Order: sequence, then structure tokens, then C-alpha cells
Amino acid sequence: MTRIQAIRGLLQLLDRQPILANLGANTYDLMAAGDRPENFYMWGAMGSVSSIGLGLALARPLLRVVVLDGDGSLLMNLGTLATIASQRPPNLVHIVFDNQMYETTGGQATHTARGTNLAAIGRGAGLTAVEDVATLDAFLGAAQRALRDPGPWLIVARVEPSAASGGIPRRPIYYKDRFVEALRSP
Amino acid sequence: MEWSQVVAQGLKTNGVEIVAYVPDEVTGHLLNLLHADPAFTLIPVTREEEAVAVLAGAFLGGKRGVLILQGSGLGNSINALASLGIACQIPLLLLISERGRLGEFNPVQVPLGRATPRILEALGIQAFWIQTTDDIAPLVSGASSLAFSSSQPVALLLPPTLTGGKQLR
Repeated sequence: MTRIQAIRGLLQLLDRQPILANLGANTYDLMAAGDRPENFYMWGAMGSVSSIGLGLALARPLLRVVVLDGDGSLLMNLGTLATIASQRPPNLVHIVFDNQMYETTGGQATHTARGTNLAAIGRGAGLTAVEDVATLDAFLGAAQRALRDPGPWLIVARVEPSAASGGIPRRPIYYKDRFVEALRSP
Repeated sequence: MEWSQVVAQGLKTNGVEIVAYVPDEVTGHLLNLLHADPAFTLIPVTREEEAVAVLAGAFLGGKRGVLILQGSGLGNSINALASLGIACQIPLLLLISERGRLGEFNPVQVPLGRATPRILEALGIQAFWIQTTDDIAPLVSGASSLAFSSSQPVALLLPPTLTGGKQLR
């Protein structure tokens, strides 16, 4: 499974649920796979995407909030897993695409390439709805459960290395305002 | 009224509903008051940078938030404040209990406390010091209006002369 295959499959499962993507490859691939007003893109604040998702999930309990994280980004903010586990928002779906590298900075190995297990860390943080998947079918099955059943969910999706989509405009304020308006409209 | 009560009332009056924090002795009573009021959702985090992002998410969902932190925690929050709050125009209030200032007993708190006004200034974050209990209502109200109309983080600072500061035990 590649990241963009997984994101394309995920988008087909969604209606208007918000997706927040961490900086780098997830933002680029989400925009390429299907730009929509309910997408929140990031170009900085590495590691923060799941915390943004937590705040949104707590502020809007009737929305199912989907977060696309990466192994390098999550490793920068592991405390988020403990905070999510302590808050237990049932509407948060935290997906981590683990390609075992810092792809955006040139493909340097992350610690998951040397045995760090993010799903196990999630369980250790106190999360119980944790899935560890490596095929597209398994990922889409986990995503369907996570979009239907109470969470908080952590889905660690092991993906093959793949070049991220290019040619993406950097307009953080425009996309943020568009996202806020999309969530405000009925 | 004691300063904590006035701050809690001011946050409520100005529509702040989400409170992210790292626990602290100086703001402990304020946090207890906020916990006791169902108008507020409290989110203890592991690190202040996380809190900036949680409050950004709450804002995206239409809720106003405040980060309650010790001065030393400002250092932990800077990249998120810069690249998420300021660059993306996502507002929040920072309520900072000062360390490393008047009466400090811990020498390692001093460098960041001393630098705090200039760090905030360098980031372009407007900062206002609450000197007396009478200042609290107008400053909380004014800072809320400023933050949420300009879509930027705004800081309120609690000096030890107001709060009594952290005591050596």
C-alpha cells in the first residue's frame, strides 16, 4: 500500500467529515487525491496535527474528525497519545502513515525503521482502539470501523516509500479560512 | 475578590470555553475554579506546544481558547505559536504566570523569564501585564477582543506581585 492509495480509498469512505493532514507528504498527497473545503493542510508546526484534531474533536463532538499523521511527526509529539487517551474523544480518528522515514527532508530513517512500534506506544499511552495494518484492504476495513464505532482510534498504516505529490500551493490562511467556513455551514 | 475568581469570570464573560494547560501551583486555584464550572472544557496536556495546537483545533471548530502556562512553558510553545497561531492567523489567549522575575528562588528559571517580554515582542505577540486585581476585567476583555478580532495570539502576564509567585518549600 502506498500513502496516496490509502488516502484515495479513505476519501471514498467519507462524506463531509473534516480531515487534517500533517506537513509534508500527507498535505501534498491529500490535496492531490481530493482537494475539498473540509481538508486542513499544514506547512509547519511539525507534530501538532493530532493535537489540532483533538481540539477540534472536543469542540465539535458531533463531527467525526480524521487526522493524517506521519511517523516522523508523531515521534516529535508522543505526548499527544497520552493526552488523547486521557480525554477519550469518541469522534477522533488518528491515522499514522508509517513509511519509516522523514520523506520531506530527504528520506532519512526514523526510529520506526529501528524497531519503534507506534501502535504499541499508543496502547501503552492508554488507547484501546488501536489497529496496525499493512495492506490496503486491512487499512480500509480499519478506517470503516473507525468512522462508525466509538474511538478514539489510532490506526498505524505501514506504507511503502513513495514520492509525494508535487506542485502544491502554499496558502495557509486561505485554506484555514475555507476550512472554518466549511465546518460552520450546515 | 481574589485574582483567580476575577480571571475565571472574565474568561467566561468573553466567551472562552476551552482551557488547555500544564498544571502549576500559581494557577492551581484558577484551574480548580475553571474545572468546577461546566461552561469550560479543560484539557491538561503534556507540553505547552501541544496546547497551542489543541486550542487551534478548537478555534477551527468555532470555540475560543486560553492556554494557561508557566513562563518557562513559553519556550516549549514557540514553534507552534509562530507557524500555526501567527502564520495561519489562528487566535488564542496566553495566560502566563511569570517565573524568573521578582522574588524568584530558582536560578535556572531566570534566563527565560528575563527574556519573555522580548520573545513575545520578537514574535509580534502583543502582551499586557496584569498589575492589580482591578486591571483584570478590562485586560481580559480587551485581550479577548484583540486576539479574536485580529486572529492572532495575545498574551496576558501574571506577575508574582499579583499572584504571590511560586514559593520555596
